[in-house]
Amino acid sequence: MKNQRIIVAIVLLALAAAPWIGISDYIIGVLTMICFYGVFAMSWDLLFGYAGEVNFGPSFLIGLGAYGAGLADADLGLPLPLCVALGTLAAVLGGLLLAIPALRLRGPYFGLITLVAVLLLQDAIVIFAGTTGGEIGLSVPDILSVNATVNFYYALGLLVIAGTVLLTVANSSFGLILQAAGQDAIEAQALGFNVVKYKIAAFVLSAFFSGLAGAMLVFYLGTASVDAMVDIAVGIQVIIAAVLGGRRTIIGPVLGAAFLIGAGEILRPLGQVSGVVVAAVALGTILIFPNGFLGLLRGRHSA
Amino acid sequence: MKQTSKRRVIRALGALAATTALTAIAMQPVRADTPAPIEIGITASLSTIPGAAIANAAKLAIADINAKGGVNGHPLALVIEDNQTSATNAVSSFQRMVNQDHVVAVVGTWISEVALALEPWSARLHMPFLVTGAASNDISAFVHKDYAAHKYVFHAYFPSAFLAEGVCDLAHDVLADQLHMKSAVVISEDAAWTKPLDAGYAGCLPGAGLKVLKEIRFSPDTADFTPIFQQAEALNPDIIISGWAHVGVQPTVQWADQKVPVPLAGINAQAGSSAFWKATNGGTEGVITTSTSAPGVANTPLTIPFTDEYQKAYGISPAYSAYSTYDAILALATAMQAEHSTKPDAIVAGLEKTDITGTQGRITFLGQSSPYTHALRFGPGYVTGVAIQWQSGTQKCIWPANLANAKPEFPGFVKLPKLASAN
Amino acid sequence: MLILQILIDGFAISALYALGALGFTLIFGVSGVLNLAHGAVLVTSAMVAWYVGTNEAAGALAGAASGIVAGVITSFVTYAVVVRPIQRSKAIPEVERELFVLTGTLLWGVMLQIGLGYIFTTTPVTVHQLVSGTVNILGVRTPTNEILIAVISWLTLGLLWLLVNRTPAGKRLLAASINPRGLTLMGVELDQVHLLAWGIYGVIAGIAGVLLGSFLGTSSAYIPALTGTAFSIVVLGGLGSVTGTVIAAYVVGYIETLTAYLISPSLRAVPALILLVLVLYFRPQGILGRR
Repeated sequence: MKNQRIIVAIVLLALAAAPWIGISDYIIGVLTMICFYGVFAMSWDLLFGYAGEVNFGPSFLIGLGAYGAGLADADLGLPLPLCVALGTLAAVLGGLLLAIPALRLRGPYFGLITLVAVLLLQDAIVIFAGTTGGEIGLSVPDILSVNATVNFYYALGLLVIAGTVLLTVANSSFGLILQAAGQDAIEAQALGFNVVKYKIAAFVLSAFFSGLAGAMLVFYLGTASVDAMVDIAVGIQVIIAAVLGGRRTIIGPVLGAAFLIGAGEILRPLGQVSGVVVAAVALGTILIFPNGFLGLLRGRHSA
Repeated sequence: MKQTSKRRVIRALGALAATTALTAIAMQPVRADTPAPIEIGITASLSTIPGAAIANAAKLAIADINAKGGVNGHPLALVIEDNQTSATNAVSSFQRMVNQDHVVAVVGTWISEVALALEPWSARLHMPFLVTGAASNDISAFVHKDYAAHKYVFHAYFPSAFLAEGVCDLAHDVLADQLHMKSAVVISEDAAWTKPLDAGYAGCLPGAGLKVLKEIRFSPDTADFTPIFQQAEALNPDIIISGWAHVGVQPTVQWADQKVPVPLAGINAQAGSSAFWKATNGGTEGVITTSTSAPGVANTPLTIPFTDEYQKAYGISPAYSAYSTYDAILALATAMQAEHSTKPDAIVAGLEKTDITGTQGRITFLGQSSPYTHALRFGPGYVTGVAIQWQSGTQKCIWPANLANAKPEFPGFVKLPKLASAN
Repeated sequence: MLILQILIDGFAISALYALGALGFTLIFGVSGVLNLAHGAVLVTSAMVAWYVGTNEAAGALAGAASGIVAGVITSFVTYAVVVRPIQRSKAIPEVERELFVLTGTLLWGVMLQIGLGYIFTTTPVTVHQLVSGTVNILGVRTPTNEILIAVISWLTLGLLWLLVNRTPAGKRLLAASINPRGLTLMGVELDQVHLLAWGIYGVIAGIAGVLLGSFLGTSSAYIPALTGTAFSIVVLGGLGSVTGTVIAAYVVGYIETLTAYLISPSLRAVPALILLVLVLYFRPQGILGRR
């Protein structure tokens, strides 16, 4: 018990110390992106892995957080923390909006709704280009910090907090009921659990962290853009990261995100082909090891 | 239960740390012991025609400069990063070029979204950044608004407002004067760069002699353009003025397929590339677009040698962004040479004093007083661009008069206003 | 005049939508697979057709034929490399097959998309038309190619209907879509039925890809949008229902055309998306879908 705590502490300290052991600002930047994508993928895993909801549109929630915060900053000139809060709120409202059809629809039908939600958000951003900046993106006047290390600590802090909360929730009775409801909603209902309440809570929680990370990403990148935060391709990255790392583990998706972004950077000299290689490795992994990286690490006796 | 889940967490964290370490090791810089060349970063989407042209032109530019002895005795070298048309990729590769490869400046991108995403990073990292193909007015407007922070950004191409002026000059000299056209319908893709473009069209086309009957904007992912052409045709305009960059092949092909009897001119950025003929199966016959230069056109003594060299090296004619990138690197080298420095502020100071002959014309950047601070100076005596028309599979220059090598000609289905009755 | 214009224009684009979504619904009906690499199969066919068709020695017809062959090959590869291993895998729990097929085909689609972008660049191209020129239909100038596209689309739809309802092989397909277990009990190799289904899928997707490429142009960048449109139409019509798909294609095609003509071309896609949300909310099984 004591030993394990020490290992957790050492790993986190090692990550926290990364900026001080001579790693370049560029790698700090890569680690920062890994943290953001890690939070996106963890939040998606809560919905999919536990609640059994195939959300094709994680970028709907991320995008709401990003544009909510970006608009509050660029158009209303509110202070940065308030902008982040507003963006998060927008994402939570979006999560509630998704929860309504989720309670009625199953599988591909719900998946399509989430996909359409992304497309509609994208259309709305382009149609109201006057306020949103359209496809060119929205430059925000405020940023988290000009210092790469400080930005990294913000992202790492977010990752640790989101990870702790989501893991605690997932491993509690809440997570178990959610899983039961995801597999057989009627039976869970029959056992006396208020499935609706749990599902809504899962959507709110997932949306909260997706939106928060999306909002903070805006102030890290200095711009909110369809391409970086809303596009279906962003959602695909998130889903691949989660499935690749090991669904229903919360931590696994972070590994998936680290792989996707890390491999993308390492293979950058290959240019475009790097994308094919990364996708092929991911495809091979899920074909051969469906439980993802974490399933591999945990050995074969796992769910 | 608790026990196993804790262990799971620990293993996962360990794996995360290992991945991080591996990533870090794999990315350690590898440096040769040769005397340091001056590194210039290129960011472009290499799978697009204008993006590939940026990288290609940059290679030719440094080869030419190194052949003449480099800059202050140092050779120039390139770090080319494919941003894959993604703002996120562009930001991370920008950081990599600055922090890892220690480039002295970054050049490239024809996509406004990418340029604007990189602009704050150029400001934060004090990294000179020359945009060589994107057209948003905001690129230079941000420099004007917050000069102290954004002075590292140079728009080595034209803001949309100037592009509109170029089309209006063409409209005046060719469409109105030569072809007796009197009315136009503007059809633009719904994109941020076309907002100021349409405003520019609305402002200057009437002065050039063309009454604007209607402005139609369409979604860039439109597949079927029939409704748009029908709407335009119903108004009986003499010409359709386009504002297209993200789209090009589809509306052009459908215009030809449907035999829309109204000629097509304006900005059709993809039509500036020699690959456009094959992409449209010849549907582009008769289409007019403004561009920076074209094969066989001598904007300056540098233009034709560059075009030929490019054609020889890559087998296709240079896209518009090739000319602007070549000139931008020339300007950058000149600035470093003049200031005897590769420090960011010295480069900025040097670039602000730029006055060179490039492949497009005389290259200087607008000053702080202009609302388009650090954009390329546009106009007669500087850079005006050219208008090209596709004729029997080749690009002919029809404007300006001193560079033109052909008269405008249109396919049979197009109806021309007075010309038909005059003949 | 405007009404006639909308009717004619909408008819062709809707026929093309129907054909584009047809394969998607077929493969779902027969094997329960939502193939998210669908757009990539369409674009692969179109790209090959363009590449061969622009080669002077070959010509448009040879181009179209090679496009269809490319569609069939891509379809079989999708089945053999991605779908079948997932369906056969013992490590993947039954309830999660669907998600793995979705993720797997998604990844495969991404690989094809980047690969095509690398080989052909992302700049759009247009497949050589089989016929050129325009025809005047009651005063509406219509490209002959557009008429040909509508005719081929409907011919393909008709042939598929005949195949499914009038041939033994087709009846096995139908049976597989209704009750795969019963079919196995009767001694029919499900594997062969699946191979047949993916073969037909490849042909239909190949034809659709080539026609789409000749009418609307093609580029690897269009892949996600094409998959999305096919997915929407199929869900709107009712997953697995061919008739529903055709009806939904016409509903979407005409709504888009009406919006483009009467409201604004830039809002073209929006009303159809909103309709889709409404239908899913009030009638989740789609227009003709079975629950």
